Order: sequence, then C-alpha cells, then structure tokens
Amino acid sequence: MKTLDIRTIIDGLTLHERKVLLSIQQLDGKAGVTDIAQRAGVDQATVMRAALALTQHGLAGMREEKFSRAGLTQEGLEYAREGLPERRMLVALASCGPELVYEVAVRAALKGKLVQIALAWLTRKGWAEFQKRQGKTVLTITEQGGTAISQKFADEALLERLASRVHRVDEISADLRGALNTLVERKLVKTEEEARRELKLTEFGNQALALGVELVEEVSELTHELLVSGRWRGVRLRRYDVVAPGAPVHPGKVHPQQQIIDELREILLEMGFVEIGSNFVESEFWNFDALFQAQDHPAREIHDSLSLSKPERTKLPSLALVRRVAAAHERGVAGSKGWGYKFNVDVSRRPVLCSQTTAATVRYLASHPEPPVKVFCIDRVYRHEKIDYKHLAEFYQAEGIVMDPKLTLRDMLGYLKQVMVKLGLPKVRFRPGYFPYTEPSVEADVYFPEKGEWLEVLGAGMFRPELLRPLGIRYPVLAWGIGFSRLAMIRLGIEDIRDLFNNDLEWLHTWRMV
Amino acid sequence: MPSITASYRDICKLLRRRVGLKKLLRHLTMMGIGAEAAGDELKLEVAHNRPDLLSPEGVARVLKGFLGIEIGLPCYEPSASGVTVEVDRSVKPIRPSIAAGVVTNVKLTDEIVASLMQVQEKLHASLCRNRRRGSIGVYDLDTIEPPVRYTTTLPDGIRFVPLEFDRELTPAQILREHPKGIEYGSITQGWSRYPLLIDSRGVVLSIPPIINSESTRVTSKTKRLFIDVTGEDERVANQSLTILMTGLAERGFELQSVTVKYPRRRVRTPDLRPRRHRLNARNANEFIGINLKPRGIAKIAERMRYGIADIWGDILTLLAPPYRSDLMHEVDIVEDIAIGYGYDQLEPTLPKVVTTGERTSIERFSERARRVLTGLGFMEAMTYTLTNPRTNFELMRARGEAVEIANPVSEEYTIIRNSLLPCLLSVLRANRRNPLPQRVFEVSDVAVLDEGAETGARNVRRAAASVIGEGAGFTYIKAVAEALLRELGISHEVRPMEHPSFLEGRAAEFVSDGKSLGIAGEIHPEVILGFELEHPVAMFEFDLR
Repeated sequence: MKTLDIRTIIDGLTLHERKVLLSIQQLDGKAGVTDIAQRAGVDQATVMRAALALTQHGLAGMREEKFSRAGLTQEGLEYAREGLPERRMLVALASCGPELVYEVAVRAALKGKLVQIALAWLTRKGWAEFQKRQGKTVLTITEQGGTAISQKFADEALLERLASRVHRVDEISADLRGALNTLVERKLVKTEEEARRELKLTEFGNQALALGVELVEEVSELTHELLVSGRWRGVRLRRYDVVAPGAPVHPGKVHPQQQIIDELREILLEMGFVEIGSNFVESEFWNFDALFQAQDHPAREIHDSLSLSKPERTKLPSLALVRRVAAAHERGVAGSKGWGYKFNVDVSRRPVLCSQTTAATVRYLASHPEPPVKVFCIDRVYRHEKIDYKHLAEFYQAEGIVMDPKLTLRDMLGYLKQVMVKLGLPKVRFRPGYFPYTEPSVEADVYFPEKGEWLEVLGAGMFRPELLRPLGIRYPVLAWGIGFSRLAMIRLGIEDIRDLFNNDLEWLHTWRMV
Repeated sequence: MPSITASYRDICKLLRRRVGLKKLLRHLTMMGIGAEAAGDELKLEVAHNRPDLLSPEGVARVLKGFLGIEIGLPCYEPSASGVTVEVDRSVKPIRPSIAAGVVTNVKLTDEIVASLMQVQEKLHASLCRNRRRGSIGVYDLDTIEPPVRYTTTLPDGIRFVPLEFDRELTPAQILREHPKGIEYGSITQGWSRYPLLIDSRGVVLSIPPIINSESTRVTSKTKRLFIDVTGEDERVANQSLTILMTGLAERGFELQSVTVKYPRRRVRTPDLRPRRHRLNARNANEFIGINLKPRGIAKIAERMRYGIADIWGDILTLLAPPYRSDLMHEVDIVEDIAIGYGYDQLEPTLPKVVTTGERTSIERFSERARRVLTGLGFMEAMTYTLTNPRTNFELMRARGEAVEIANPVSEEYTIIRNSLLPCLLSVLRANRRNPLPQRVFEVSDVAVLDEGAETGARNVRRAAASVIGEGAGFTYIKAVAEALLRELGISHEVRPMEHPSFLEGRAAEFVSDGKSLGIAGEIHPEVILGFELEHPVAMFEFDLR
C-alpha cells in the first residue's frame, strides 16, 4: 500500500475513529472496548462504530471473546452484608444454647422466610438439629456446628469476594466452583454470558500512526455560524463518500411531445414560415368544401370526422365566396369540369371537429391572396377513431403552404427536403401520391438511421386550381404535411402512439430533454 | 386508399412479358401505386381518383405504357351486338339510368373470374358508393333472350331463384332473407316498386341493386357476357361499365355495344371514344420545373397512354382513354407528365421566397409560461381535449355546456373540455402510485361555446397547474400563480371567490383590467375524493392572452 493511499485513508477518518485509533496505540496496541472507551472519553457504541470503520480500512483487527460473569443478586448482596441466615442463626444458637426456634430467631434478628431458610441450611450443613427436651422441640448445636463457628466456608468466602466486584467465572478457582454452583442454586449469584471485544492495531495501523494522525474537530456541514465566526478554519469538514448513490432529483420539464413540436416550429420559423393556429371547431365549409372535397366524395367519408351536436350551426363566410366555391364543385372553374353535383349550403354550415390543419391554411390563403405567403400550422386535429396503440382520436398535424408566382414541383421537393435535412434526416426519396385537393401530389419516404428503415412521413402537393380560384388566387401554392405523430414516435423511440400523451411522472422523469 | 390483390404471374401474362418482381414493385411505386409482394400475391394500393386501376387488367394497362411495352392510346371500337335494353318509364323515380354492354370471345379462367368479382366489388365500394349510385350485373348472354327490359316490379310481383339460393323468392322475400338483400336493402327504402331486369321470355336477370338470378349465372363455360350498370347517375353507370369492359379488353376479349332505349331517346353504350384534352407544354414545364420541348412532352404522354391528336406550337391536343374519368383539369395531365418523367428524376430545388418567420403571439406567450412553470419545478402534462361530462363537470361539482360530439366513438369521449383542471386532476389520479408531492401543469387550448364566434365555439389558451401532497396549500399555489403572472408581465388584483370545485374561503379570482384571468385555490375534498385522490390538492387555471 502506498503512502498516498494511507494518507487518503487517514484523511477520511472521522474524529471518533481517530480518537479510537490513538487510544489503542496508547493502550499498547491492544485493548478491550471498555478500556478504549474510557481512554478516548466516548461511549462504547461510538467505539464499536469506529472499530467497524477501522477494521474495514485494515487499520485494526477485532477479536471477540465470549465468557460468563458471576455477580450477586439482590439477596446475595444482603447476605454478603449481614452474613448468611444459617450463620447468623448458628452464632445466636452458640451463645444461648438449646432453645426454641423462635427464641433463637429473635436473638439472631431473623424474621419470616429468612428463619425457614436458616433452618433448612442449618440442618443441611449439619450445624444444628432438633431435640425433644421436656416436651418441647428445641434447636441444639451439633459438634460440626461447634467447629463451624470459628470457620469461614467456601460459599461465604465467595460471597464476600463477589460483593467487592463482579468476577469472570473462569477467574474463580476450581475449589470455589462447587460453592459457586450452590450460590447460583440459592439464587444468590447469577451468571451472565458476555462478550469482550478487543481491538488490536494491525501492521498497517501502525504505519498509519507513524505517518501521524491528528485530532481535529470534525463537522459534517459547513454552517452559517462556522463561516461568520471563522471557526471553519479550526474544524475539519468530514470527507464524503462522493461515489455513493443518493436520492435523485428531477427538473420540471416540457412534455416530450411538446419538445418535438417546439423543435419543428423552430425549424420552420428559421425557414421563414409564419405560424398560424387552427380551431377545434370548424365548419364543413372550411374543413371540406373550400378544399374542393365534394360533399359526397368518399374522401369525405374516409376522413370520418367527428360531427357536432353543439354548436348546432356555423356561420358561413361571404356569400360571394360560398357561391364561387359551390360553382367550382358543381360546374368547375379555371377550365375544370368540376364534380357535377348539387352543392348543399346546409352541409357547409355543419360544424365538425377540425380533421385537417389545411382548414386553417386555406382560411389564411383566403384572407392573404397575394404572394409571397409562407405559413405553417402545428395543431390538433380529430378523427373518428377508437384509441389504441396505433390510433388516436386527436393528434397533432404539422402543415405548411408556400405561395409564389414561379413555384414548381421541384421547388416543393426542395422544401420537403430542407425540412428533413434540418431535422437531421437528409435521406429523402419521392414518389407520386394522392391527396384529394392537390395535383400533382407527392409522398416522401425518409430514411431513419435509428430504425434502419425508409418510412413514409411526408405528403405534399400543389393545391388544385379548383381550390385556389374561388379564393381569388392565381398563383401556384404548394402544401405539405408531416406525419407528425410518426416523426415524434421515432424521435422519442416509442412504439405505442398513446405514449405521445403519456403523463406518468416516473416516465416523464426518465426522458432526457430533447 | 382502396387496395386490390393481383397475382404476379397474371400481371406478367397481361404484360406479355416477364418483368423481375423487384423491378415491377419499383415501377409501380414510381407510378403512385403502393405495392407489396407476398409470394406470388401482390397487394396494390390505388389512389381514390383512379378507379380504372382497381383491377389487374387496369394496372397492367398503365404498366405497359410505363415500361414501353405498349404506348399511346388504347383504342376500343366496339361493334354493335344487336342487343337492346328497353327502359320502362317506371324506373325514373327510383333508379333511372342504365348502361350495358356485351363481351364475346370470352375464355374464363379462375384468375379472370376472381378479377372480375374483385373489380365489381371495388367499384361498388368506391365509384358506386356502396351500390347506391350504381350497381353492376354480369350475366351469361347465352341464357338470355334479348331484348332485355329494364322495368320495375311490385315487392311481391315476381318470383325467381336468386344467386346462391335453390328456391324462388319474391323481391320482398329477398330483402328479408338473402344476405345481399339484408346488406343492401336500405337503398330500397321508400321505394314502392323495385327495379327489375327481365328478358323477352320473362327470365329474370336481376333486381338491381340487390341480386342477380341463378339462371343467368356466369360459369367457366360462358362464351358471351352481358353486363349492365344501373344507377341514379348516368355518368357513374357509364364510367363503371367503361372500366369493367375496357379491363376485359386487356384479356383479348371482344367488346360489343348495346342500344339502350329510353322512352324518349336512345343511346349506345358503352361509349369508348377517347376524350380530347388540351395541354399547354409551357404550363407543364413551368409547373414541374423542367424544360422539355412539346414533342418530348408528347412522348411522355404516350407512355402515360394518351394519344396525340395534334401539336400546335406549345399546345398539345391529347386523346385520353375513356376510362380516365379522373381528368378534371389540365393539372391532372401535368401530374401524369411528371409521373412519366419520373419523380426520382426530379432534382429538388429551393427558391428564395423571401419571408420573415413569425410565431403567433399566443405560442410565444405559451412558451414563456412553460419556462416559468418548469423553472418552478412543475412537470408539463399533455392531455386529450376529448373528455366526457362526468369528468369535465360532475366530478368538478360544476355544471355547464361544452362542445358536444354527435357521433362519439366511445362514452369516454363525448365532449371537448372547457377547462384544464379536470384534465390535470386525471393526470394526478393516474400518478397515484408515484411519490408525493407532485407538481404538474398544462398549457393548452380548451373550447368554449360562443354564439358570437363564426363557428359557434372558440379556442381559448389556458395555463393550469396543480400540486398534490405536502405543501399543497393556498399560500403556495397563490405564490406560484403570482410568479407566473409577474413573469408574464400581467398586472392583476386578487379577489375572494366562491367556486364549487374549490374550498370555501380558499379560492381567489385573479382579475386584470376588470377581466377575470382565472382562479387559484385549494380543491374541495369531494372533488379530490371524486378523482380517487387522498391528499390535499391546490390548483390554478388562467386564460393566456
């Protein structure tokens, strides 16, 4: 072990650990816990805690010894002070000669139960016996009793010794063992199992002490008081185990799905797009009619939108606009044949939950017919879907439009590509697609390195003239939409679409902010 | 998108050429047809506006052009079959139109029969709107004695054996008992007489749009087909017939026309003449962003199965095949040119359309609110706006009206929320097992009914926050609310307020410029317990504007 390591260990010792270490040294490198506690001026529990750390560092070794100790009971203490009851009775009997038991007891100043104990042991030890004299039963001293007067027996000697202090059973000589058993049996002495722990410095411990272990006051926290009093100079701040894991804390965070929305919004703003919002409640006019979706077109059923019973009706925009849209549907505009059916204004008035953000972008176009226009909308749309791991009834759609006099299909591909490049997904391939209100239409597959797959996440197209002309627009307008949920799921690495709206705090805590 | 199945072998047979499967799939994709292969079976996804692609024959026809196997206009010159259909005036109020045709030299294989059934089914589902607008019947002409009469019958006026049955039924019985009668019976609602196709001997062909007769059934031995499409819309009837018959022409069968005699006019169907369309080459070039000479564009048009009638300067006069009912405007043809040119050949370009990015003020505001609340240690939740009156009102001890869905998918989602508070309480309920305290917020829209608004309702952006557990008291939530308003720069005053969702004397209204911003306070125990929570909750909700 290098000196440097020893130093690190020494520096890591607490004040108590240091005190214990030094105390063992002072006690000749080896001592029991009690002695160490006394020497170090701390309690035994503290010594034990320190001992644990010291042995872990290899500075000291601990040996544990189990033994039993013998000590007097309350009764034993009393007898040690006053003498055994049978001894007291014997002394009284010797002075008064054969006498009635109670007379002897009075002389011996014994009462009640003690008289019984005295009598029992007098006879058991053979010091006295009962004799009939003149019709009375009297207690008389035996020969053995006579010699016993001047003798001290083993049990009495042991009682006396134990009265001075508690003894380890193995310290009691073999000739006193029988007496010990008798005293234990008489419940005058009790023995207790005890363990004695002894600490001994190791070689490493000696090395450490040779390097010097100082006793400095140690504190665990730097306090205001320490700082302002200047006492911080005299204390040692305890070193922490900085590697140990602690309780985690979590920051407040923006929801993962919102983070993706923000990221996309940022990109589109950088590209010079103006943001617009949409409404949950939309009229069929703006949600469908204005997008040149025929009122009986299957695409309108496909959307399978959520219709509303409250509010009951929406207000239509200017009559002229409604007429132009109706004409585009019925007869066509700008060289188109139209759908050739009877347009119904009551259908237009019906409210629906907005099923496509295009409703918002087309509304914007209607009020901003002059180029250049670049707007985007990221908002919720609704579908008539049962919610499961693949479907949501409401989800975010991201959509944008560009209007400029000279826009081409290739420009549209350029915009799509740029969005994906900015999202860090530069590999894009295009193929023809179909959307009811764009022509030409394109779908884009994007390569996701995290999935190792080409996935369809973009759709786009040039708005049909039948959509644009009724709004008074004579320039090409390209519109694109991002499969936002799909993009977000891949970005967040989730498989279940419902997790886009997961609000489990534990789950949210684990998400790294994107 | 509608999808069909086709056999790879069959497609190759129709192409009269073996094309590698991978190459075939790639070409289909680049034509805008989604394609997946599982062994010999191809699953093809077709655009809604191209019902002519709802059969392997139709797909093969466009592939032939795309691959250069057979380019230009497919010509159809049906000879007269001599068959007439006489239309009775009684059909006029219920199903006035009929188009019919004859196909001869027929050799039916299993593949062709399957394809014929598939295209009927797909046309019924799409163009024919579940047989409402049109319904197709195909019969063995040799079991029929023309002329055919298109007339009507009373519900019990006639008996015949319908397909898949072995006994005679009246039309009324068919509607009650036959699977097709049960499936499509709703179309006949309100009709006192049913349409009937019957031959000169009184043999029933069908009662459109429900079922054909067993006796005129097409079998593998059938040599001549009689096809009819009846409907409420003559255009749909003609389109469907055209798609069906031109498809069979791809099999090498011969097409013949039928004379339809209406009470006051007669027409020959199918009408398979090409349609003329004008295409300005400059428009095509400008729209796509390419630079081709009119002749080059004409070449591409031929690969997309157009015929070229004339090129005059920039103006091309194209002949479109009769099955292309989707062509409404020049842009539809421009798209075909782009597809023929190849989307994979188009280099993306990026014009400098100079604009300045600008976020909406409400989003800017919302972002600031999110920054303040996350800074205060609150976690953002995103919840559904779809909810139900029990969560939105009853559990909150409140009453009111909200945007209400007429055709909800489930009882759980019948209205649109008008407050974020119940949504956040639901979030807390979902987090019951997670350690306390919990701080959650949401910045999002609610919808409120508003008669003055154009759509009868409007979105309102709200910010709401909730805290549950230790310290979830009025003092804390008020401090948070004030911190938010302070950071957003909204000066305000606080007034005592009573609200059924909050504890009496522990809720305050925040007012700015005389307008209520929202409320903050301790949630009423009944509300807490109603959301199955067991700890105190404090919340606020403000309008952001």
